[in-house]
Amino acid sequence: MIWHIAKRELYDNLHSLRFALTTILLLGLMLTNAVVHIKEHPIRTQKYNASVTESLNVLRDRANNLYELAREGPGLLHKKPSALHFCAEGGEPFLSDVVGGAFLWSTSSGLKGFWRLDYPSATPNLTNIRPNITKVDWVFIICYALSLIALLFTFDSISGEREHGTLRLMLANPIPRHTVLIGKFLGALISINIPFTLAVLMNLLVISMSTAVQLDGTAWGRLGIILFIAVLYISLFLALGLLVSARVSQSAVSLVTLLLIWVTFVIFVPSTLASITGGFSSPMSRDEFRKRRDELYSERWKRYDDYLFEVFEPSKIIQFKGKHVTEEAAEQERLSEEHLMQQVRQVKFARATTQISPAAISQHLFESLAGTGFERYLQFLENTKSYAQQFRAFIIDADRGDPESLHIIGIREGMSQKPVSSEAIPKFEDTLSLSKDFNTAAIELLLLGMFFIVLLSGAYLAFVRVEV
Amino acid sequence: MMMTLIRREILDNLMTFRFAAAVFIMLLLVVANTAVLIQDYERRLAGHNTAVKMHQRQLHEKKTYSAGMEKLLVDRPPNPLSILNAGFDKRLGNEVLASHGYVPSLWDANMHGSDNPFMDMFASMNIVFILEVVLSLLALIFAYDAFAGEYENGTLRLVLTHPIGRGYILFAKYIGAMLCLIVPLLISLLLAVILLMMSTSISLSTDDFLRIGGIIFASIAYLSVFYLIGLLISAATRRTSTALMLSMFVWGFLVLVYPNVILAMITRPDAWQAHTASTFNKIEQIWEEFDRERKHLLATDDFPGEDWGFELRGWGSRYAYLWGNPRSLLYTYESVMEFHGFGEKDEHKMPHAQNHFRFLGSEVISTADRTWLIRKPALENIYIQPANVKRTWLKLSPVGLYDATTQALAGTDLRGIRDFFDTARQYRQQVVDYLYDKEAFGSRQWFSSDKEAADWSGLSQFSFQRVNAITNAKRALPDVSLLLTINIALFILIFLIFVKSEV
Repeated sequence: MIWHIAKRELYDNLHSLRFALTTILLLGLMLTNAVVHIKEHPIRTQKYNASVTESLNVLRDRANNLYELAREGPGLLHKKPSALHFCAEGGEPFLSDVVGGAFLWSTSSGLKGFWRLDYPSATPNLTNIRPNITKVDWVFIICYALSLIALLFTFDSISGEREHGTLRLMLANPIPRHTVLIGKFLGALISINIPFTLAVLMNLLVISMSTAVQLDGTAWGRLGIILFIAVLYISLFLALGLLVSARVSQSAVSLVTLLLIWVTFVIFVPSTLASITGGFSSPMSRDEFRKRRDELYSERWKRYDDYLFEVFEPSKIIQFKGKHVTEEAAEQERLSEEHLMQQVRQVKFARATTQISPAAISQHLFESLAGTGFERYLQFLENTKSYAQQFRAFIIDADRGDPESLHIIGIREGMSQKPVSSEAIPKFEDTLSLSKDFNTAAIELLLLGMFFIVLLSGAYLAFVRVEV
Repeated sequence: MMMTLIRREILDNLMTFRFAAAVFIMLLLVVANTAVLIQDYERRLAGHNTAVKMHQRQLHEKKTYSAGMEKLLVDRPPNPLSILNAGFDKRLGNEVLASHGYVPSLWDANMHGSDNPFMDMFASMNIVFILEVVLSLLALIFAYDAFAGEYENGTLRLVLTHPIGRGYILFAKYIGAMLCLIVPLLISLLLAVILLMMSTSISLSTDDFLRIGGIIFASIAYLSVFYLIGLLISAATRRTSTALMLSMFVWGFLVLVYPNVILAMITRPDAWQAHTASTFNKIEQIWEEFDRERKHLLATDDFPGEDWGFELRGWGSRYAYLWGNPRSLLYTYESVMEFHGFGEKDEHKMPHAQNHFRFLGSEVISTADRTWLIRKPALENIYIQPANVKRTWLKLSPVGLYDATTQALAGTDLRGIRDFFDTARQYRQQVVDYLYDKEAFGSRQWFSSDKEAADWSGLSQFSFQRVNAITNAKRALPDVSLLLTINIALFILIFLIFVKSEV
């Protein structure tokens, strides 16, 4: 019986204006998305490859001298662009795609600062004078456009029938109400999924046909999960539509209510709530950061001067100088990390509060699965951090291998000056791991599922109690 | 009869659920967002004030003129009307160097103020955006059944039996609904303005009130466009369900889809990279010529063979280099000397060094001015024009038109921001005049503070005033008139359809 109702619903929809308009709209959006992606993605990959090669060249040049290599560091570390960029753009222009070393100081006595990671802050493009508009990615198409369409498919599914009197007719048959509701839900889900699937297929067809973009096995796996989330997200809005439609006696009122809910939760909550809750905590201000940095620096140098004033033994001085240089670098790196982490905490808190909006949840999910956005950025920073450890361990190992070296890391006199094989130096490669992404996504997925169940059972309760 | 029709229309609309919902949601969104935005503005203003003080202090701490050139930063205050429409106010740089070394422009600016730039990832709301999204939706919800509903109920036939022209009926409907729609708009904007006035850090001038008035007018025109679109659909389809569906999709297309898709489709012409490179080359050559002259002077003067620092031995720091940025077409010669004492032996070199810096100073200024003549049109060509093309395409949707109008009125559009850089350029001219007045380039204080420190007291402080409301209105005029034209065109179209339709 469920299928009977679903089929009726489906046939009704297939002939409707909204079905035709949805098909056109989704096809247009998805094709735009695909075309833009196959045009822009090669540029991104090219840029990434070119800069990685450049970094490798820098590394090779510096391999001539172990001390210089350790001092100047491995060059810039680049973030790998995701092949699934078309799924979620994720505020990428805001987030830096490169981590470099800090400015290296040097003194007239020949002491020179040591390489350390310098975590970048967000990099707003100050010369971007183009109009500011969101990207047409899947997040936009699904979270914004399609959720609105889902409401348009269900706003009258119960209230409309009641207005026409057909609901009474249907309920006169010996069918339980939940069957009617599920049937209606499935019918709407199938009929909205027809144009959606068509559009997604066209999109993926265009993207996979292009030689410029290669999607590998994991990418397809990720796409599968993204599509599953998309369907769940659509179902959620269908359930919301059914709930309001069952509660309200007029279709027009039902639509107005739904539109207002949509505007509030999809458009305003993600940004307004983030701005409000962002104000609750304040990270270290830029001036404070600078002040602490300068304090650390001058304290360290004061200790250095004091030591040199008291101690005259050359071997101890050399030891101390090495310690001075390496510890200075470590200390500054810790401060930079602390500064970043405070900012990250604020953003994470703001993001967490936006999770009362399903649109924000699925946007986060899309981003983490597509390998873009804020979570991905943090992953990239994590990668650079573990690479820095690897690099430093390599320097110590290589220095140990040289019998002429004094094994005092940090100064020229104490370290090996010999060239090292450039193959042996660890290279930075940015990686994406599906399991890690999925772990961060699991809770949000659960939350989305819960939203759906709550709304659907709400619709059931509302429909059971409705008087015809 | 006309009044009766209008009254009927108003009463019909006022008593509905959609009207109550409209008022409620508008108030909620506008008030919540205004509170957030005022907080944000206060933060930015505090950041601006700290920055101004800091730059002032840093400048006065510099004891030589050449070192002061590094610290002549001027700051752009946040615009209080950015609460209504943020435009470029938060996005573009708000501090720029006004030294003699180069002519400052938008592309040389930096940003100060935000403690956590990551927070900017969350799209910034502003009042106009709320109106853009919610008002248009409300207008369509009010309009979709205006004709179709009456047609279905048969009341339209009833109304038309009266000896009254169809034009009047149309007009009465339009006026009645618009009067209802304006209520939530005005109340929410009024509350926003009251909140603005309650904040201690924001002082609105008469000009600001005129600008707000202009924004309200533009909002009404925008509202009317969407109401008329809804009416057109309603008159043309004659069925409420069809009209509703069509209205919603038209809304989705105009507000959500079109602006994003059109910007994704338009890409910059490929020639810009070559153009940038060739212009940068030209500018580089001019500076290299300057460098040759400089070296020539050093080689042929009384003490041939010394370096740019005259091998002065003293206490302090010095550096000089040519540097450039190919992306922003900036190139300049930076030379800073900050000594506070010299050895005995160097004293006889002083007049010679002073002569050299006098020559260098005027030469740097004239070279900077000359390269600006090349740089300015190139920047215009490479960056401004493509952005303007995109902006023009956006105006095909009423949303883009409304956004552009309100930005121009609030003074947060590109022209408003560029006004600041014009002022910064004028200020640089003042600085140059001041330096000439003081004969700073040829003075000992240019590079050393051992005898006397540089004197900054006579240099007037930088201040930036926004253009007056009339200029803002003039800038918004083309877009406003376009909005009004669309209104009239739509009205005529609806009239034609309605007159010819059979009941």
